[in-house]
Amino acid sequence: MKLALRELWRRPGRFAVATAILALIALLLMVLGGLLDGLVAGSTGALRAQRGQLIVYSSTSQESLVRSHITPSVRKEVEGVAGVSRVAGIGSVQLGARIDGHGPRDLVPVVLFGYELAPKGLPDAVPAYGEVYADDSLHAEGVKKGSTIRLGPARTPVRVIGFLQDSRYSGQGTLWGSLATWRSVLASNRPGERAGDGVDQALVVRVAGADAGGQASAIDRATSGATKTLTIPQAIDALPGVSQQQTVFNQIIGITVVIALVVVGLFFALITVERIGLYGVLKAVGASSGILFAGVLVQALVVTLIASAIGVAVSLALAAAIPSGSIPFVATPSRLLTSTAYLLIAALLGCAFSLRRVLKVDPAAAIGGEQ
Amino acid sequence: MTTIATDLALQMERVSKIYSVGDAQVVALDHVDLTVDADEIIALVGPSGSGKTTLCSIAGGLLTPTDGSVIVGGQDISRYSPKQLTRFRRESVGFVFQTVNLVPFLTARENLLVVDEIGPRTGRRARDRADQLLDELGLTDRSSNLPAQLSGGERQRVAIGRALMNEPDLVLFDEPTSALDTQLGDQVVNLIRHEMKSRGTAAIIVTHDDRITHYADRVARIVDGRISDPGARDD
Amino acid sequence: MFLALREIRRAKTRFALLVAAVALLVFLILTQQALQNGLITSFVGAIKRQSAAVLVFAVDGQRTLQGSVITPALQKAIESAPGVAEAGRIGQGTFTVVVGDAAKSNAALIGYEKSQLGGPDRLSAGRMPAAAGEAVGSAGDFSLGDRVRVVGPGKAVELRVVGLTDNAQIQVSPTLFVAWPDYVAATRAFNPDAKTVPPSVIGVRPVPGVSAGALTTQINKTSGDADALTRDQAAEKAPGVAAVRNSFNLIFLLFALVVPLVTGLFFLIITLQKARALTLLRAIGAPAGVLVRSLLVQALIIIGGGIAIGTLLFFPLSQAKVGKLSLSFDPAAVLFWAALLLTLGLLSALVAARRVLAIDPVQATTGGGAR
Ligand SMILES: Nc1ncnc2c1ncn2[C@@H]1O[C@H](COP(=O)(O)OP(=O)(O)OP(=O)(O)O)[C@@H](O)[C@H]1O
Ligand SMILES: [Mg+2]
Repeated sequence: MKLALRELWRRPGRFAVATAILALIALLLMVLGGLLDGLVAGSTGALRAQRGQLIVYSSTSQESLVRSHITPSVRKEVEGVAGVSRVAGIGSVQLGARIDGHGPRDLVPVVLFGYELAPKGLPDAVPAYGEVYADDSLHAEGVKKGSTIRLGPARTPVRVIGFLQDSRYSGQGTLWGSLATWRSVLASNRPGERAGDGVDQALVVRVAGADAGGQASAIDRATSGATKTLTIPQAIDALPGVSQQQTVFNQIIGITVVIALVVVGLFFALITVERIGLYGVLKAVGASSGILFAGVLVQALVVTLIASAIGVAVSLALAAAIPSGSIPFVATPSRLLTSTAYLLIAALLGCAFSLRRVLKVDPAAAIGGEQ
Repeated sequence: MTTIATDLALQMERVSKIYSVGDAQVVALDHVDLTVDADEIIALVGPSGSGKTTLCSIAGGLLTPTDGSVIVGGQDISRYSPKQLTRFRRESVGFVFQTVNLVPFLTARENLLVVDEIGPRTGRRARDRADQLLDELGLTDRSSNLPAQLSGGERQRVAIGRALMNEPDLVLFDEPTSALDTQLGDQVVNLIRHEMKSRGTAAIIVTHDDRITHYADRVARIVDGRISDPGARDD
Repeated sequence: MFLALREIRRAKTRFALLVAAVALLVFLILTQQALQNGLITSFVGAIKRQSAAVLVFAVDGQRTLQGSVITPALQKAIESAPGVAEAGRIGQGTFTVVVGDAAKSNAALIGYEKSQLGGPDRLSAGRMPAAAGEAVGSAGDFSLGDRVRVVGPGKAVELRVVGLTDNAQIQVSPTLFVAWPDYVAATRAFNPDAKTVPPSVIGVRPVPGVSAGALTTQINKTSGDADALTRDQAAEKAPGVAAVRNSFNLIFLLFALVVPLVTGLFFLIITLQKARALTLLRAIGAPAGVLVRSLLVQALIIIGGGIAIGTLLFFPLSQAKVGKLSLSFDPAAVLFWAALLLTLGLLSALVAARRVLAIDPVQATTGGGAR
């Protein structure tokens, strides 16, 4: 053990290349994970921020918010379902926002939400007509408390009265106002999609009791199929691309871990081959295979930890350096930790390839000498 | 490449080798004169650090002398460039070193053929020669073994075969038996003498081992980089 | 050659592991390249497929078909801009459709007023629509003869697929090109409240002698609400496309670094390991060039083998679909990566080659050479 660590300190050069490669692989894992997290967070924030457990779309909407229409009569039917404790309308519209300080063609894409049930991080009271809360990612675009943002071709003005966090949608910053604000912005900017009075895009529903899934089917039965009700996690999965992105990225991350395993395996296999003579001598003077192999493991762990630390540092630097909006990259502690854990597991498994070699070393070989 | 007509295998005249270690200078060879006839076997003996390996390295073109001239098989190699020396070693001398003599991932036969592979290839001729040498050295049924699967004596025999592959003018043995026990050492030295004499090839055998001196035509003694009595025949 | 091949043959597992690692990396790179292309094609393929050389968006559309709405005034301004030979309305929307007897699904409709300004520029099967209710569908999503019903609260519209065209998706949706009146009818089927149906963009043909690029400048000068883009610009500058490219480029950069580092480390280590044998070979007269060449031959075999196997692994995947994305085997991309990785890999082996060149043959006399 001591011997293994001393070798690391005395001959760092021999481990430098392997550490560099592992650091790159660590960075690769963290970047892949960070991109995935960034993509997912940026497209699901608005749904995750909801305080209800269920979301009700019209059945013709293909579970897409923008194409959903809930008429007042359907809303009544939903309100009548037993166990439903709160029904709130929600609406959204994607528009280009003109923000002070930006050029005439430099619009910032935003999604304006109209709500009745305040999302997480906002006071219960719905803002007055023409007033909105903004997602704090819009800070980077120069939005401040009190700013006026002009929305869409009609340049409908809304005034920012505060901020909330992690509420992005379709990769865009969001604004949160009353349903009336939403209806009027929609009608003036999207005449083809205007919602009549009392029409909501979807309903956010809070239910009493734990069986949200059962309540969902109860709601759809009560509206005799006019609605399609999903739990919030189901609605997130139904967002176009989210689950595909997750599978694809996770597969890539998996293969990258396998490559890390091969690299560690290769490196320590080679290093143990090189040391067979030394191990012969050590065994001849009484060292057990276990002790020798523990030395290999310790070296692998130290190398991997150093590589992961470099990866973490570069990831954080990258997250700080990337201009907001160009790459959806976030470096979350949990992602950095899981990436490090994956690498450590790969390193330990990779080392196992060398175990056989260490066991096979014959102390007699130390006397036999060359070749 | 200048060739000087001669029937000497090696002619060293006033050869000096000075190593500089930092500010200090180590005189490893001090104006050495040594000649070896075309079919002569010389035993080179002397205490440790006296310059035996240095002398062999210079005679074999692994080192260039600081001063003096070295003529091997008619070629004056004392002013050769590293490239010319590489070619000289490949074509005109054979080496058997004290420790590492074989390429671990090549079989016995391939270790002989490697001599042909590193130069302009002759193919068939080289293969025939390798098989013949293996046969003479009694290694025919070991020819596809890797070095790790050979005994110490067998390895040394393969090394001798490899040294003879290029039909050298001079073969240099640096303590060929030091890793072997007495009986095996005797066998190997016997074999060396037989191979050299049957081909008429000259050889220098560096040794600490007194028994070897009996097999040599002549014994040269080196002390502190100086050869005493270079001309005298021992038997 | 002899040395290189013999060594590989005697240390099969070691070299096989490296080939496997390179193959996996190549497979990953090619897969991600295909994913990137697939993603971008399915986001904006239809924009490249449509026939108008210049597309004029409303500034508020933020360069998306679905977000852009052209007002009659803007349309007039565009038509009267200098350099415009002909202009045609193009509309785009996403609708709920029923294909044959299948369940409801989503499809994007692109309505064009003039087939040379917004219709598909090329068909892979069938013919262009001639009568009302005929459509060209994106190949892979539709088949010739498919009956597609656009459903919604309004009067359903019946369409028949008479032609197919490749790489023509928009927003990762099956896409249909239809004549303008059918598009208007579909919009009303979805939202009977819609009074007028404005175009999303205007397709423009420049007069002879005016380039597409020059025309965009002209049109942008004419109206501050117009955002004129050439066909390629419209595809590249669509929101998200740059983010996708940047994200993948970051990943590619890391992978392109990992491959040469892994091969470089490998060859460095095996060179150090056989330093004694190399010293011996130098001592018995092997020119350094021969040894370096043998090293490079090995690198070539390993990397070449890895690339070949990686490509073979990738080929079946490239014929498949990942979620809604269809991938494709792009020989140009494969060649590019093969050449790049081969070059980088060989360069990395030069580090080991330097070690070979530094060997002093006289070390053979002392039994040294292994450091
Ligand atoms: N590369 C070198 N640099 C400096 N001094 C050296 C070098 N090689 C050898 N020497 C010195 O030159 C002298 C002769 O060395 P050489 O190896 O020729 O001795 P040797 O007779 O072969 O000894 P041994 O019997 O122990 O092998 C010694 O004093 C040695 O320390
Ligand atoms: Mg010596």
